[in-house]
Amino acid sequence: MAGPLLQTKFHVPRRRRALVSRPRLSDRLTRGTESALTLVSAPAGFGKTTLLTEWLADWLAAAPAAERSAAWLSLDERDNDPALFWRYLVAALDSVAPGVGASALALLQSTQPAAEAVLATLLNDLGAVPNDVVLVLDDFHVIEAGEVQDGMAFLLEHLPPQIRLVIAGRADPALPLARLRGRGELVEVRAADLRFSPDEAAAYLNGVMNLALTPQDVEALEGRTEGWIAALQLAALSIQGRDDVAGFIAGFAGDDRYIVDYLAQEVLQRQPGSVRDFLLQTSILGRLNGPLCDAVTGQGGGRATLEALDRGNLFLVPLDDQRQWYRYHHLFADVLQAHLMEEQPDRIRELHRRASDWYEQRGERSEAVHHALAGEDFERAADLVEPTIPELRRNRQEATLRSWLEALPDELFRVRPVLTVGLVSSLMVRGDFDGVEARLRQAEKWLDPTADRTGMAVVDEDAFRTLPTAIAMYRAGTALVRGDVAGTMTHARRALDLADEDDHLARGAPAALLGLAYWTSGDLDESSRLYVDAMVSLTRAGYHSDVLGGSIALADMRLAQGRLREAMGIFERGLQRAERSQPVLRGAADMHVGLSHVLRERGDLDAARMHLQASSELGEHVGLPQNRYRWRVAMARIREAGGDLVGALDLLDEAERVYVGDFSPDVRPVPALRARVLVAQGRWAEALDWAQERGLSVDDQLSYLREFEHVTLARALSARYTAERDEWSIREAAALLERLRSAAEDGGRTGSLLDVLVVQSLASQAQGDLPAALISLRRALTLAEPEGYVRIFVDEGAPMASLLRVVAKEGDPGSYVRRLLAAFDGTKVRKPVSPEVIDPLSPREIDVLRLLGTDLDGPDIARRLFVSLNTVRTHTKNIYAKLGVNNRRSAVRRAEDLGLMVRPR
Amino acid sequence: MTTDDDAGRYEIRVEGHLASRWAVWFDGMSLTSESDGTTSIRGQVIDQAALHGLLQRLRDTGLPLISVTQLDPSITESTPTPRRNAT
Repeated sequence: MAGPLLQTKFHVPRRRRALVSRPRLSDRLTRGTESALTLVSAPAGFGKTTLLTEWLADWLAAAPAAERSAAWLSLDERDNDPALFWRYLVAALDSVAPGVGASALALLQSTQPAAEAVLATLLNDLGAVPNDVVLVLDDFHVIEAGEVQDGMAFLLEHLPPQIRLVIAGRADPALPLARLRGRGELVEVRAADLRFSPDEAAAYLNGVMNLALTPQDVEALEGRTEGWIAALQLAALSIQGRDDVAGFIAGFAGDDRYIVDYLAQEVLQRQPGSVRDFLLQTSILGRLNGPLCDAVTGQGGGRATLEALDRGNLFLVPLDDQRQWYRYHHLFADVLQAHLMEEQPDRIRELHRRASDWYEQRGERSEAVHHALAGEDFERAADLVEPTIPELRRNRQEATLRSWLEALPDELFRVRPVLTVGLVSSLMVRGDFDGVEARLRQAEKWLDPTADRTGMAVVDEDAFRTLPTAIAMYRAGTALVRGDVAGTMTHARRALDLADEDDHLARGAPAALLGLAYWTSGDLDESSRLYVDAMVSLTRAGYHSDVLGGSIALADMRLAQGRLREAMGIFERGLQRAERSQPVLRGAADMHVGLSHVLRERGDLDAARMHLQASSELGEHVGLPQNRYRWRVAMARIREAGGDLVGALDLLDEAERVYVGDFSPDVRPVPALRARVLVAQGRWAEALDWAQERGLSVDDQLSYLREFEHVTLARALSARYTAERDEWSIREAAALLERLRSAAEDGGRTGSLLDVLVVQSLASQAQGDLPAALISLRRALTLAEPEGYVRIFVDEGAPMASLLRVVAKEGDPGSYVRRLLAAFDGTKVRKPVSPEVIDPLSPREIDVLRLLGTDLDGPDIARRLFVSLNTVRTHTKNIYAKLGVNNRRSAVRRAEDLGLMVRPR
Repeated sequence: MTTDDDAGRYEIRVEGHLASRWAVWFDGMSLTSESDGTTSIRGQVIDQAALHGLLQRLRDTGLPLISVTQLDPSITESTPTPRRNAT
C-alpha cells in the first residue's frame, strides 16, 4: 500500500435512483462556492454524503464542463499519517486539474515532507488553475492528527478563490471556524438543516419508497425519528411488504429503544439465515468485494449477494462505478458488528485472519496488517510489518509505522531484533531518545554469534544482516544529540567499519555523523574529508536533498579553512543540482544564500544582493529549516558593508528570532555577529556585556566551538583600549589573540586565522606599533589574496585603509592591495541597484521569465511548468507589461539588466 | 503514558434505550436503561484517551449525548445499579 493509492477513495458516490429533492440545501451549497469553506457537519445517517453527491451533480451540470470540476476524497483513520493524507489530497486535486499536483507529489517523495513546503508548492500551482474546482473531503471527523489539521488550516488560509473546499463529517473540524464565520467565509449545513422536515419525510416515504402511508403514520414516523434520515430509511425497509403497517408504526413509535438498533433488527430478522450470516461476518470489513467476502465467509457467491443487497437498498454504499467495491453504511455496520460480537464472539479473530490472508496474497500489506491487528493476531502482524519497514521509511510514512509498532505488545519485541531496531528509529524520528539504548541492547543480544538463537523471530534477513551497522549508527546519533563527541566518533566509526562497500546509505550516514563530530572538535581536514565521502555515498544512494543540506555544512568547513573558492564551487554545483531537478530541490534557496555570502566576502555586493533576491523568489518552501536565519545574516552583512549598521542590527535581531539549531555546530553564533556590529558602532561596552553574559573570558581554554566568540571578545577589548587607553585591555586582548592565532594555525583554519590577524594588526596599530601591525597585515594579505578576500579588510574602515596605504607606499603594492584600496572608495559611492523600481514580478512570472531566456518554445515552457499554454501566455503578457517591453528578446535583456535572470555564476 | 489520575469510573448518559448486547461494543461497560427513556453507560476507563475513544464510538451511533460524569469511587463502588427498567 505504501505505493499505490486506493482509487475507491476518490470515487464520487453516484446518485441514488430516486431521491427527495432538497432545493433549500442545494441553494445554500451553491452559495458556499463563494466562500472559502463549506462545512457539512452532522451525526452519521443524516444524509451528508447524499446531499453533496446530489448537489455536485447539479452544480457541475449547470455550467460547461471546461469551467467546473469536482474532486472527492473519502477519508479513513489511516489518513492520520500526514505523508499519506497529503498524497491523497494532492492526488485528488490532480485528478481534476491534471499536472497541478506533480510538483507537490514529487516534493512529498523526494524530501522530508514539511507540510507547508508541499502545500506552498501545491497552492502555487492551484493559483494557475483556470476553472472552478470543488474539493470534497468526506468523513473528515476521522482526522485527529494535529499536523494534518494545521496543514489544512494553512491550505484554507491561502486557497485561491477558484478552489473551494467542502468538509463533511460527524464532528466539527479543528479549523479556525469562528474566524471564518466572522469574515463570512463559512457556509454551514448542520444536523438541524439536514433533518427531514415533515414534508420531506412524506415525500420520501410515500413518493420515493411508495409506501402509501396515511398522514398520521407519516407524522408518527417523522416524530419518532426526528427526521433522522437513516432511521426513516430503515423504517421504510421494515415496512415494505408488511401487512400490519399501522401496528408496526404504533409499536415502534411507542418504544424507547435506540432506533437504528430496533429497526436494523427488524430488517435483519426478515432476511434469510444465509444473508443474515453474510451481513454479520462481513461487517468486519471496511471495504467489500465478492472475492474478499468469499474468503471471509468461506463460501461462494459473495458478489451475487452484494449485488442483491445493493438492489434491495440494504445500506450498501458503492465505492466505484463498476460495482466491484462496496462498504456498509457506517451506522448499519456498527449494528451488524454489535450483533456479531454478541452472537459469534469466537469467530471474529478467524474472520479477521481470513481477511488478512486475502489482502496479503494480493500484496495489500497495509490492509493485511490492519486486519491482523484488529484480530489481535500480533505475531502475524509483526511478520507483516517487519519487511515493510524500509518501504514505509522511504515513503516517509513514519506515523503509519509508529501506529503499527505501538499496537504490538511489548514482549513481542524481545524476540524480534529487526522489529526492535525499527521501533528505535521510529522513536528517534519523534525525538524520543529515552528508551533507545535499552532497546538497542535488547536487539543486540541476538547478534552475538555464540548466543542461542532459538525463539528469535526474523522475517527480513537482509535487515538482520546489516543490524550491527544500524545499531552503531543509532548509538552515534543519540551520542551526537547528547553532545558526546567522543561517543559519536566511536559509534559512527564502528558503523562505517561494519557497512558494506556498496551499501551507500549505510556508509554515507555514519561518515556524515563522524564528520560532524570532527567538525565540532575543530579538526576541519578530517571533517571535510569525511563529509566529501558522505556526500558521494548519499548521492549514489539517491538522497539528493540530504546532499544539499550536507553541502552547506561542507562549505561552512571550507570557509573556516579559508578556502573561499572551494566554498563557492560547492554552492554553485549544489545550485545546479537543485535546479536540474523537477521540482527544484529543497535547499536551492540555501545555495543562493551561500553564494551570496561568498560573493560579498569577495567584494561583489551587487551579485551578493541578487542571489539573496533569487533565494527569496524561490520561496521559503525551497529552503531548508536554517535558511530563514542564514538569509537574514547574509543580508545583515551586506548592509554592514554598505555602512548601514543600524539596519544590520535589525536583521541580526530577526535572524536570532528565527534561528533553529540542527546537528551542525553553531560556529558563528548570531549574538557574536551582533556584538561585532556593536563594536563597529563604538558600543564596545555593550559588546563586553554580551561577553560577560556568555561567560567568556580571556583565560578560557580555547575550543573551536567558541573561537568566533573569543575573537569577538578580543575585538571589544581592543576597542575599549582605543577609547580609554587602559593598558589591561590591550594586554589581555593581545595575549588572547596570540593564543587564538596559534590554535587556528594548528587546526589548519586559515579562515579563522585571517580573522585573528586582522584584529591583531589593528590592535598593534592602536598601540602605535606600526611595524607589528604591518607584519600581521602582510601575513593576512598573503593568505587572503589567492582566495580573493575583500570585505574582511574593507569592513574595518578607515584604520585598515590607512594601514593598507602604508603597505602600498612601502613597496610595489601589487594589484590586490590596489583593488582593496579601491573598494574602500566604492563603499561610499556605491549606488544601490533597485529592482524595486519596477512592479515586482510574481514567483511564477519569474519562472516563466527565466525560461523565456532559454531556447524553449511556448508549449515546451508550458510542459516544463505543468501549466497550460494559455497560462504561459497570460504570464508572458504580464511580464512584458511590468518590464515595459513588447517582445521576448527585450524582456530577457531588460531582466538581465535588473538582475532578475540571476543564474549560478 | 497514562497516569493513575486519569483513570476512573464514568457515567455517560444518552437518549434512548440501548440493548445490553451493545455492552461489548462499548468495551464491556455496563448499560442500564433508565425509566426516563435514557441509557446510563457506566464503567471504568483507563485514561482520558480511552474516555474520548468511547465518546467517539457513541458519536458514531448517532445517539444524542446528555451527560458525562466522573463517579466518586467511594460511593459508586459500593452502590450497584438497582434500577433496571424493562420497557
